[in-house]
Amino acid sequence: MKYIKQVLGGDLRQYTMVVALGLLILIFNVISDGRMLTSSNFQNLLSGNAYVLVLALGMLMVIVIGQIDLSVGSVAGFAGMVMALVAKNYNVPWWVAVLIALAIGILAGAWHGFFLSQLGIPGFITTLGGMMIFRGGVIWISRSISVPAPEELKWFGAGYLPEWGPSFTGMNNSTLLLGIIGIVCYAVAQIRKYNSSKNSAVGATPLWAVVTRIVLMTVLIGYFTYLFGSGRVGTSFPVPGLILLLLTIIYHIITQRTKFGRHVYAVGGNKAAAALSGVNVKRTYFLTMMNMSFLAAVAGILFVGRSTAAGPADGTSWEMDAIASVFIGGAAVSGGVGTILATIVGGMVMAVLNNGLMLMGVGADKTQVIKGFVLLAAVAFDVYNKKTGKSSIIGRILSK
Amino acid sequence: MERNSYILQMQGITKEFPGVRALDDVNLNVHTGSIHAICGENGAGKSTLMKVLSGVYPYGTYDGKIIYMGQEMKFKNIKESENAGIAIIHQELTMIPELSITENIFMGNEITHKGLINWAEERTRTSEILKKVGLTINPDTLIKHLGVGQQQLVEIAKALSKNVKLLILDEPTSALNEADSANLLELMKGLRDKGITCIMISHKLNEIAEVSDAVTVIRDGHTVESYDVEAGKVDEDQIIKSMVGRSIENRYPEHTPKIGDVIFEVDNWCIEDPEVAGRMVCKNSSFNVRAGEIVGFAGLMGAGRTELMRSIFGRNYGIYKSGDVKIKGRKVKLTSVEQAIKNGIAYVPEDRKNLGLNLLDSIRKTVVSADLDKITRSGLLSLDMEQSAAEEYRQSLKIKTSSIDVGVTTLSGGNQQKVVLSKWMFTEPDILILDEPTRGIDVGAKYEIYKLIHQLADQGKAVILVSSELPELLGMADRIYTLFEGAITGEMMSYEANQEDLMKKMTITSNS
Amino acid sequence: MKRRTLLSMAMVATMALATFTGCGGSREGAASDTATETTETAETTEATAEESFPGFDDGATIGVSLPWLGTQNWKEAEEMFTAQLEEAGYKPIVQAADQKVTQQQQQIESMIENGAKVIVVGPVDGSQLGAVLEQAKEAGVYVIGYDRLLENTSGVDGVVQFGSVKTGELQAQALLQGLEEKKGEPPYNIELFGGGPADPNAPNFFTGAMSVLQPKIDDGTLVVVSGQTDFTQCATVDWDNAKAQSRMDSLLAGNYSDKEIDGVLSPNDGIARAIITSCENAGQDIPVVSGLDAENESVEWVWSGRQYSTVAKPTQDLVAKTIEIIDSLKAGNGMPATDVEVDNGVKNVRVYELPPVVVTKDNAKEVFANDPSRLELLK
Repeated sequence: MKYIKQVLGGDLRQYTMVVALGLLILIFNVISDGRMLTSSNFQNLLSGNAYVLVLALGMLMVIVIGQIDLSVGSVAGFAGMVMALVAKNYNVPWWVAVLIALAIGILAGAWHGFFLSQLGIPGFITTLGGMMIFRGGVIWISRSISVPAPEELKWFGAGYLPEWGPSFTGMNNSTLLLGIIGIVCYAVAQIRKYNSSKNSAVGATPLWAVVTRIVLMTVLIGYFTYLFGSGRVGTSFPVPGLILLLLTIIYHIITQRTKFGRHVYAVGGNKAAAALSGVNVKRTYFLTMMNMSFLAAVAGILFVGRSTAAGPADGTSWEMDAIASVFIGGAAVSGGVGTILATIVGGMVMAVLNNGLMLMGVGADKTQVIKGFVLLAAVAFDVYNKKTGKSSIIGRILSK
Repeated sequence: MERNSYILQMQGITKEFPGVRALDDVNLNVHTGSIHAICGENGAGKSTLMKVLSGVYPYGTYDGKIIYMGQEMKFKNIKESENAGIAIIHQELTMIPELSITENIFMGNEITHKGLINWAEERTRTSEILKKVGLTINPDTLIKHLGVGQQQLVEIAKALSKNVKLLILDEPTSALNEADSANLLELMKGLRDKGITCIMISHKLNEIAEVSDAVTVIRDGHTVESYDVEAGKVDEDQIIKSMVGRSIENRYPEHTPKIGDVIFEVDNWCIEDPEVAGRMVCKNSSFNVRAGEIVGFAGLMGAGRTELMRSIFGRNYGIYKSGDVKIKGRKVKLTSVEQAIKNGIAYVPEDRKNLGLNLLDSIRKTVVSADLDKITRSGLLSLDMEQSAAEEYRQSLKIKTSSIDVGVTTLSGGNQQKVVLSKWMFTEPDILILDEPTRGIDVGAKYEIYKLIHQLADQGKAVILVSSELPELLGMADRIYTLFEGAITGEMMSYEANQEDLMKKMTITSNS
Repeated sequence: MKRRTLLSMAMVATMALATFTGCGGSREGAASDTATETTETAETTEATAEESFPGFDDGATIGVSLPWLGTQNWKEAEEMFTAQLEEAGYKPIVQAADQKVTQQQQQIESMIENGAKVIVVGPVDGSQLGAVLEQAKEAGVYVIGYDRLLENTSGVDGVVQFGSVKTGELQAQALLQGLEEKKGEPPYNIELFGGGPADPNAPNFFTGAMSVLQPKIDDGTLVVVSGQTDFTQCATVDWDNAKAQSRMDSLLAGNYSDKEIDGVLSPNDGIARAIITSCENAGQDIPVVSGLDAENESVEWVWSGRQYSTVAKPTQDLVAKTIEIIDSLKAGNGMPATDVEVDNGVKNVRVYELPPVVVTKDNAKEVFANDPSRLELLK
């Protein structure tokens, strides 16, 4: 088991949720007679949940600074509705409408950020106000009637990558290219890490572990490339999934590798200590809230694209799904703890659960109950682990 | 009947945490009606021992026997030990600030009559108990309106209300000023005379020498020494010797200062209290520091030492009214902490856990956290540079840790303080303000920190040392300013100062 | 060293990919034919009658996606679809979406995934299922709208519903009739309520009702005291009874402190009961209130005289008609003929309209003669 540890890089605890996700997918695949692991189902899974995961990216940062944003659903609905209305009534090109929607998101975030950072009103209250304001706003401007969105937006919400090149690959070549890029990037990153750790002498990972790691990842990415790419002609890795993927990478880098990201964790971990280390706490609050609403607008656009129309009820209770994803991903309610990647895994656990139960024909009522229990169980498990200082069940099995 | 004279005997207590044996066959025998001091370095196992005794670690999670009032006890939780008459007064006060003294004292033990709280009865009882601890204040006063010393007394009163027989005080005077400390020690003597046994955990050797009847020294989870104190029989150096396992000839390292030009000047600094309009916490303070010089700031609690330093450090505290800061003769405007850092100032706060560290961070992240620009390359943080910086400080400051990736909470107080110092040394400051840098740190680690301060001064940095311990100031600083009620009341070279002189300046205004 | 590692990595990657390419031959070429075919179909619906409607086998999976189960008619629909589709030899998947568009989108996708041949959709919001329904279309699944129009999509083959404008007219006529019967001489003070704006039927109900009421308002027979006669003013978001009740409360408080309210146009039974409760709380005599859906409680109220009328849209009729269409599709006969077509914003959709029935105390026993559970209530 020491070998497994070395391949995965020491702390097995962080893989608990990943393993849970994998098991969930496999179990559902068996129960549903293989209908879980199909091209179209995974394409749907990504297209149908990209908007929640996009929200979760922003929500993670908001929760890390020790705040909460209840307004994201309303802001998403509002931005989407404005976009649809502007495109319909003023006859502007679709991309202008998209830019307007994004600008509205930024403005809404600046509004929340202002009250939080300058007046010190807690995010819960600021955004509770925002939730009402923007929900009312959607209903007001739409007069409670759904508005069809520009046709081009469908590409963002439900579109696929283009087909090109030779057909002997047997799959969508855009997806194939994406997969290859993914594998190469991973391999290069691992090798670079290996080379630099070799020089530093402390805790160098053995070469075989690095190679195993790369092979495992190649198989995994390769499998998903195949899964997404080999669907019906005209389908591929979905565009909303690609947008999500790009945003995930960008936000992973922002949170882990930039000054701003460090400040977010510093403010969430200990505000007073952060201030004494030269962190501009107010600015960090402001930017985090602004970023959240910006992402809410992105989520709204993706959703309208997929729904082909903006509706007055769009975004209702999305904030709850986003918050649930973040907490299942192991973030702390008190702030300071949580990562982008874990949040995505947390969101995927929820999405796969939803999807799998639907494939099994379980009703929305029972699905809701099960999701509630999963949320509690995941967080309770995490809290229990932190309290006892033990690693997860899986970690314990593997360490023997 | 020798045995019966012990109220408490802990025999062969062994407690293990994953990977660590925190207590190894510890024995503790406490006479009825005595004051028993427990001392030891931070991390020696004193707090763990008390947690075993009070049932925080329930019976079964440790090995050994607890015999209390002649019976073996198997506490499953705190409630059981409380019922047996054992009470702990923690280092951190545990009362609810928004509630009154009465409500706090009877919290969880409310006197009820037909399901309703009998306030009149609670209040009368509170007044009586408060008298026992020498407090004459209205029992309806809210805790938040009390000073720290008074809060401590209320904590003790709360314990007395539960008919306590064995009172454990964990660092009772660490947050108190001298007058309150003296008061508390008197109270302990009074309680002893009334037959209440006290166990006192303390770093303050003078206090131990003053009140205790017996001393047990714990080192690295073992009982090192345990003896009764006859008046004047044990001196402080002897305790120190058994605590650290070696004799510290000199508590302050030798140092010959290399003092240069004045590089840091503060003129007529005036700061208003952010909570009380019109109250000045700094009144026309002016001082200067030379390169390579260690300048001490002495003052009692509430004298405004921390407030002065934090307001200089980018206006982190209070409302700026007037005053100038000059660095190397050039006037600078420091309106944010970021600017202060850019101008070469570093401030190590007194409250390490609440102000100095993000306790969720690892060592490597903490070390670079005050100057992320230094490791930023084209917008991204260089993790390699972060790692090498952290490794460098780990080695040069001898931070005891298995890896720089572990969380700072896993470190002992002294090592945590070294991490905080690394964080500020990483910003390469010219002026280093150290606010109580050795508070809550054991003797051995203190010595290392003192050496470090000397090194920094020798590099030509201007060091400001704020401390409540006058011997520390006299031993470390080249020059000392005294503060009283927000004003600088005196300045003297340390070789010509003594504790009495300083104390006079810290209690009287200079114009009286 | 570095170069060699890189090289071996590349080899591993190529090998892995080659493996997948090997099994990549399984990519469904056939599906692409279907896709192009159906796209053509969608484009030519209006122009030609020679659409091809391939049938399917007995025991085929039929998906039914309902908006929620919060009102009686939807709960009935769920039970009837499950029972009757099974009886007809199909394999039904009946799911409800809890009034959430996203949930419904995902449910429909999972039905496609489960190989449904026909999907019956009672939409949460008729215009927000565009992309998903087109996906169904591409997968060769027939889509039938149930009770509500599916707008803004080419992915719909037909809609079964009660004539919604007609329903509105019936509600208004019943209201007028009740006022004459119960409230003596005109003028009558009335208020208007609309349904949930996200439901495309709601404005139609209102339009139908106003076509009857507007002339009477103009000639002074009816007085809308609050002056709120616009659909957006009268609408009840999400068909939420509580919202209707609070609107009625404020209307009464603001306009009827010195007046009697005689009648209220209500778009459904739940809202009707909310309105009646509100009037009772305000100390008003119970006004004449219309309704819709013939929910059990309202049937009782009609029988006891508290609610004047309701409109029955017998769920069994709607379900029976839907299954009739499914049977026709199975046999390869395509969508049955109909004379009503409605523009849904993208294409003209065949609509199968069923006639609703007004229920008052006078005719209740006749209307529910074949409905033992409701007949039970009339005692």
